[in-house]
Amino acid sequence: MKINGTLISYFFICKTKLWLHANRINLEDNSEDVRIGKILHEINESKSKKAEISIDNIKIDKLTRDYLVEVKKSDSDIESVKWQVLLYLYKLKQKGVERKGKIEFIEKNKQDKKIHYIDLDEVNEKELLKICDKIEALINAPVPPTAKFENKCKKCAYYEYCFI
Amino acid sequence: MAKNHTRYIFSMGELKRKDNSIAFRNEKGNFYIPIQDTRELYCMNEVSFNTKFLDFISKSGITLHLFNYHGNYSGSFYPKEQLVSGDLTIKQSLCFIERRLHIAKAIVRAIALNIHESLYHYFRHGKKDLKQVLDWLKNDLEKLLNKELTIEQILFVEGQVWNRFYDSFKYFLPEDFIMNKRVKRPPDNPINALVSFGNTLLYTKTISSIYETHLNQTISFLHSPREGRFSLSLDISEAFKPIIVFKTIFDLVGKKRIQVTKHFDKSLNYALLNEEGKKIFIDAFETRINETFMHKKLKRKTSFKNCIKLDGYKLIKYIVEEKEFSPFLLKEKM
Ligand code: SF4
Repeated sequence: MKINGTLISYFFICKTKLWLHANRINLEDNSEDVRIGKILHEINESKSKKAEISIDNIKIDKLTRDYLVEVKKSDSDIESVKWQVLLYLYKLKQKGVERKGKIEFIEKNKQDKKIHYIDLDEVNEKELLKICDKIEALINAPVPPTAKFENKCKKCAYYEYCFI
Repeated sequence: MAKNHTRYIFSMGELKRKDNSIAFRNEKGNFYIPIQDTRELYCMNEVSFNTKFLDFISKSGITLHLFNYHGNYSGSFYPKEQLVSGDLTIKQSLCFIERRLHIAKAIVRAIALNIHESLYHYFRHGKKDLKQVLDWLKNDLEKLLNKELTIEQILFVEGQVWNRFYDSFKYFLPEDFIMNKRVKRPPDNPINALVSFGNTLLYTKTISSIYETHLNQTISFLHSPREGRFSLSLDISEAFKPIIVFKTIFDLVGKKRIQVTKHFDKSLNYALLNEEGKKIFIDAFETRINETFMHKKLKRKTSFKNCIKLDGYKLIKYIVEEKEFSPFLLKEKM
């Protein structure tokens, strides 16, 4: 299993979700808004090719001369976004492309955007590889970690699966 | 009531894509069905369409169920992006080999308990003759199921459960609806016609719900996977028959909203619902299946229809995590 951005972020959000998703029990967000968004995207897909860059199994929002830019809607999971970006930087570095990381949070209904910078250095590269090992071990376990109810579960697409 | 995502088409006509809507044209003109809030489309009459239309509904994640004029199910069309999981299919097959009987028993137990619940309603309202069958469903059946049984024996027990249920109709249904023998094809009396039509509707609903999970529709446990249909949906729908199909029938017949002389096809010995009868039935069926209630375990509002999908989740948890599998019981309703 190749570690990608989604897996990294689930590692920080919820380990049960990580296991379920990685083991292909991916439950979609079935809310009407999300569904319609997806349909329109699918229908219009042929018309507009998104300027997304895809390397291996990761998708990068923007790559400038100096920066790899990741755009997010909210800074609620800053820790997981940080490690996502570090993973991208690491993958780029392996391809011989060195960049610094820049995270832009564009909060809804707000004009100003917050910007965070993060770079891959020796310390966090080591830490990143450790996290990747932990993710591998978790998703290779035969059964998922037992779900424990927390506040975040209320909005999670896996809620029904976890608590039925 | 939960939002109803199902659209029925009763007349002959043509289905087309019109921009981002579905257009239906018949001799009365054009009707538009927005894809928002549409998940299932039932064609109850002769309808034509082209592949462009199919491509459009596939992209929109809409399932199409086709019936012929007599209300017999012809088949379904699914979006190509079915959630499939090779891993789960392998585990599901293993589970069939190693734990089939356990699941089959759980389904039969749930059928019996849900039948018990629906008959108990009539018992409480004075139909004391039901006592014997109620006791059998509650006590004797559990003893039977606790024995070591082969799949054939489990199926025999299931047959007994349904037979006793049909037999008990004489205690609370009007005379002209009492059924002597359950004959499936062709339905030979009004009640059989209602049961067949209702079961088929429930079966297609279950197919749509299971389609939202990662289960493989062809690997079933109570029914033989050899039946050549989506036999897992037959399995999953069983526990819901008493509380959705039969509840709808009992209500309609009890309140005389469906009548033998008015709502069945006379030329076929009242063995088929006529168009008006079908509409009344579908309307009541949809209302029932979309009824919402508080779910004891989830502590959330949910509908019967969603509970079908939840039974799929339970089955996945049993297959993957060996968590106890018990199909939906009316008691889970708060
Ligand atoms: S419902 Fe809770 S436990 Fe389950 S995956 Fe979501 S966050 Fe994790």
